[in-house]
Amino acid sequence: MPGAIGRDAFLEIVGPALELDRVDGVEALLLHSWSANTRFASSQIHQSTAREDTSLRIRIVRDGRIGVAETNEVTRDGAVAAARSAREMTDAVGSDPAFPGLAPVAPIPEPAPLDTTTAEASPAYRAETVAAVVDRCGAGMHAAGAYETGAIELGLANTEGQVCWAPHTQAALNVVVTGPNGGSGFAEAIAPGIDGVDGAAAGARAAGKAGASADPQPIDPGTYEVVLEPAATSTLVDFLGFIGFGGRSLLEGESCLSGKKDTQVAAPSISIVDDATDPGTIGAPFDFEGVPKRKLDLIRDGVFRQGAYDRRTAKQAGTVSTGHGLPAPNPDGPLPLHLCLEPGSSTVEEMIAATERGLLVTRFHYTNVVNAIASTITGMTRDGTFLIENGRVVGPVANLRFTQSILEALRDTSLVGTRAELSGEFFFGVSRVPALKIDRFTFSS
Amino acid sequence: MCRSRLRDGEEEPVLDVAKRAVDAATAAGADYADARAGRDETESLTVRNQEMEGIDRLTSSGVGIRVLVAGRWGFAATARTDAEEIERAAALAVEQARAASLLPADPVELSPVEPVTDHWHGPCQEDPFDVPLEEKVALLMEASRRMQQVRGTTFASGVLDFYRRRTCFASTDGAAIDQTVTHSGGGIEATAIADGQVQRRSFPNSFRGHLAGAGYEHVRSLGLLSESERTAHEAVDLLTAPSCPDEVTTLVLDSGQMELQVHESVGHAVELDRVLGMEAAYAGTSFVSPGDRGRLRYASPLVSITADASLRGGLGSFAYDDEGVAAHRTPILVDGVFQEFISSRETAPAIGEASNGTMRADGWSNLPLIRMTNISLEPGQGSLADIIGDTKDGIYMATNKSWSIDDKRVNFQFGCEIAWRIRNGVIAEPLRDPTYAGITTEFWNSCDAVAGPEEWTVWGTPNCGKGQPGQVARVGHGTSPARFRNVRAGVR
Repeated sequence: MPGAIGRDAFLEIVGPALELDRVDGVEALLLHSWSANTRFASSQIHQSTAREDTSLRIRIVRDGRIGVAETNEVTRDGAVAAARSAREMTDAVGSDPAFPGLAPVAPIPEPAPLDTTTAEASPAYRAETVAAVVDRCGAGMHAAGAYETGAIELGLANTEGQVCWAPHTQAALNVVVTGPNGGSGFAEAIAPGIDGVDGAAAGARAAGKAGASADPQPIDPGTYEVVLEPAATSTLVDFLGFIGFGGRSLLEGESCLSGKKDTQVAAPSISIVDDATDPGTIGAPFDFEGVPKRKLDLIRDGVFRQGAYDRRTAKQAGTVSTGHGLPAPNPDGPLPLHLCLEPGSSTVEEMIAATERGLLVTRFHYTNVVNAIASTITGMTRDGTFLIENGRVVGPVANLRFTQSILEALRDTSLVGTRAELSGEFFFGVSRVPALKIDRFTFSS
Repeated sequence: MCRSRLRDGEEEPVLDVAKRAVDAATAAGADYADARAGRDETESLTVRNQEMEGIDRLTSSGVGIRVLVAGRWGFAATARTDAEEIERAAALAVEQARAASLLPADPVELSPVEPVTDHWHGPCQEDPFDVPLEEKVALLMEASRRMQQVRGTTFASGVLDFYRRRTCFASTDGAAIDQTVTHSGGGIEATAIADGQVQRRSFPNSFRGHLAGAGYEHVRSLGLLSESERTAHEAVDLLTAPSCPDEVTTLVLDSGQMELQVHESVGHAVELDRVLGMEAAYAGTSFVSPGDRGRLRYASPLVSITADASLRGGLGSFAYDDEGVAAHRTPILVDGVFQEFISSRETAPAIGEASNGTMRADGWSNLPLIRMTNISLEPGQGSLADIIGDTKDGIYMATNKSWSIDDKRVNFQFGCEIAWRIRNGVIAEPLRDPTYAGITTEFWNSCDAVAGPEEWTVWGTPNCGKGQPGQVARVGHGTSPARFRNVRAGVR
C-alpha cells in the first residue's frame, strides 16, 4: 500500500507556500488518493489496477485578485512553484469584488483513524469477493462489474490559520448479471469499509433479477405508476442536488427551486437532507474552502427549506457558508454532495401491493437534464424492469425511456421505503436513498 | 515552437522513466510490460459579465505500468518516478495480474505490432501557453462586454482552455515513443433569464466551445468577438419563442449537433471492447455484433463514417496509440453498411484482425481503453442552404444541450439550444427547448442529405466518459449538417 501522507507532513510541505511574499492570502488544498480496482466481465477478471496520485491546489489572493495553480509534485518546491504560478496569474486579472476572503479559523472534528484494512485491501481480497459474486450466477449467466477499494486524505491550510485534515476510505462493488434470453440484473454495495460489502449477497441479488427478467416484453410508453428501487431513486435525488440545491443557481434564478423557499415542492413524506457527518455516509467533515459542513434540511416534509452555500454565494445571499464549497476556482458554485432522502414506513413489497398497473424499476441509465428550470430529466431503465398488475409483479418488460420532471415525481410520491441505501449515480457521487412509490411517471419512448 | 514544458525548465528523461518501468516490471515477473511516463499541463480561463470567474493551471506527471503475467493484465500507476517507487509500482502491477488468476479465463493474446522508435509533436503554430494571460483575458472580457450590450442578456460568459500532454511509451517489444499533443479552444455563451425561463446560446459550440488539436491560432480563427452580439440576441429571442412542437417531422441538424449524434450512436456502438462485453456493467454493450461486419445496413447509402487518428486538428489525433500502434484510418460505415469496429491489441484477435490503434488512457494514471479517435461523417454534397431550400416543411436544430442513449446504443434522445421552423425552403421563426428522439438504425437510415466539404467542421469533444474507474477522453468528430425524415421532435 502507498503510505498515507498525514497532517504533519502536509503542513510541512505547504509551509513555504503559505509564506509566499507579495501576496495577501494563500490557501493550500491537498487531495491524496490511492485506490485499486478489480474489474470483471463475462465472469472473468479482465482489469486489475492500482493507482496513487496527489493533487496540491494553491489559491493566491493579491489585491483582491485571485489565481489558482495545481500540481502533483507534492514537495515544498512543488508547492512553492505552484504558488508562484498562481501569483503570476493575479497580475493578469482584475480584482474580484465578490471574493469573500479565505475561510477563518473554525473547529473541525478530530478525524477518525484511517481504516487500514480497507485502505490496504489486496488484489487477492478483491478477487475473492468477485469470485463470490460469480459463484452466485446460475447456468448461462455471466457477471460483470467492478470492486474498488481505496482511501483519500483531504487537507486544507490557509493564511487565516484554518487547518483541516481528514482521511477516509471507501469500498464500492457494482454487479450486472446477464442471463439467457435477455435477462439482466443489477446490484451494488457501497460502504465506508470493506466490511460493508458482501459479494455473495450482491451476486445473488443481481442473478435473481437476471433470472426473473428473461424474455422481457415490449410495453407501450405512457404514464405509469412506478416503484423505484434505491438505485433508481438516487438518480432523481442526485440530479435534484445538481440542478436544484446549489446556492449559485438558486440565487441566479437557474434552479428549479429558485423563489420557492418555504413552498411545498414535494409530497409531505419527502425529506431530503445533506449531512456529511452522518456515519452512514462517506466523506470529509469540511468543504474545499475549509468550512465545516453543516447538516442541511434541504426539503423537510415536502417543503423547500434551504440551499447549499459556499463562502461566495453565502456573501451574495446575505447568509453564511453551509460548508458546500468545491475546489477553487469554481465557476459552477456550491453543491451538496452527501444527500440523503430520509426513509419512510413502506416496504417494497407493500409498494408493489399498492400498485394497480405500473412498473418496478431497478435503476436508470445515462440520465441527463432536458430542462433544468422544469427539473425535467431523461434516461433509460436498465437491468431489471418489471410490469406490476393488481399488486403483483407479472413479468419483465423491455427497457423504456423516461422523460420526467423530478419535482413532479416527488410531488406524486405516495410511499417511501423503510430502508435507505448508499447508491452511486452514473455521473455523480454517492447518495443514501430508499425505494419510492410514485403514482405518475412518464415514459416517452 | 510548441513543445512540452518540463519542471523548472530542465530536460526530463521522461522516456527513460518509461524504459526503467518496463525493466522493473520484467524483473518483477511480467511476461509482457509497457509503460507510459507522461506529463499533462492545462490552463483554463472563465469570464462572466466582464469579471474573472476562474483562472487556473494544472500540471500532473507520473508513470503507469501495464503487465501481462500468465495471460492476465495488471496495472499500477504512481506520481513518483524515483527508482524505488517504480520498482514498488511494477511489483504491484504484477501482483494485480497474479490475483486475477483466481477466476478462470482465456489468456490474453495480443495482436502483433511492429515496435518503433519515434518522436512526434501534434500541430501547433502558436504555443498557447506562451500567449500572455492579459491577451487571453482581454479577449474574453471584450466578448462578454459585447454580449452584455444586448438588452435582455442576463449572463455573458467566455472560456478558453489549453491542454498539452506528453506521453513517453516503452514496451518489452522494444517500442520507444515520445509524443506530444497540444489542444486549444474556447467559446462564448449568452444566458437570458425571465419569467421562469432560462435560455442559452453558445458559439461556436456548447460545453466549452470548440477545441482542436492546434495552438492559439485556432482561438484566433474562432471569431468569438464578431459573433458575440448575434449569440446574445438569439438567447434573448428564445425567451419569447414558441416551444418546439411534439410532432413527427423532417429534421435538419447543424454540424455541431451532428457531432454528438455521431459520437453517441455510432462511435460508442463500434467500440470492440463494448461489443465483447468488457464495459457491460457501466457504459454498456452494443447492438452491433461481429457478424454484422459487411452486412448491417446501419444507415442510408449517403452515410459513410470513418475513424481517423491521423486527421489534422482532431482531439483524437496522434501518431501512436497507448499500445504503440500507429495511427489508423478505418472505415466504419461505407455507403451506410457497417464495416469495422475500433479495436485494441487484445480485442482485435477475437474477430481475426490486428489492432487498428484506438487504445488510449486518461493520462499516465489510467489503464488504456478503446476510445474513439476522430470518428467523422464523410461530407456529402451541397450546402446547408441547399438542404434547407430543399425542405418543404421541417425543423432545423442547432447546438447540443442534452443527450441520453441506452446501454446498447439504440434508443436516444437529444436536446438542442435552438431550432427554427422550415417552411417552403426558408428558415422561419425560432423554437425554444427543441428535442428529438429516435432508434439508431431507423434514424440513420432516414438520412437523405449530408452537406458537402465546405460545411464540414472537425469538432472536439473533450469529455467523453468511459471505464471503471471513470476516465475522460478527448475525441474528435468531423461533421457536416444533415437531414433526416420522419423523426419525432418535441419530446418533453
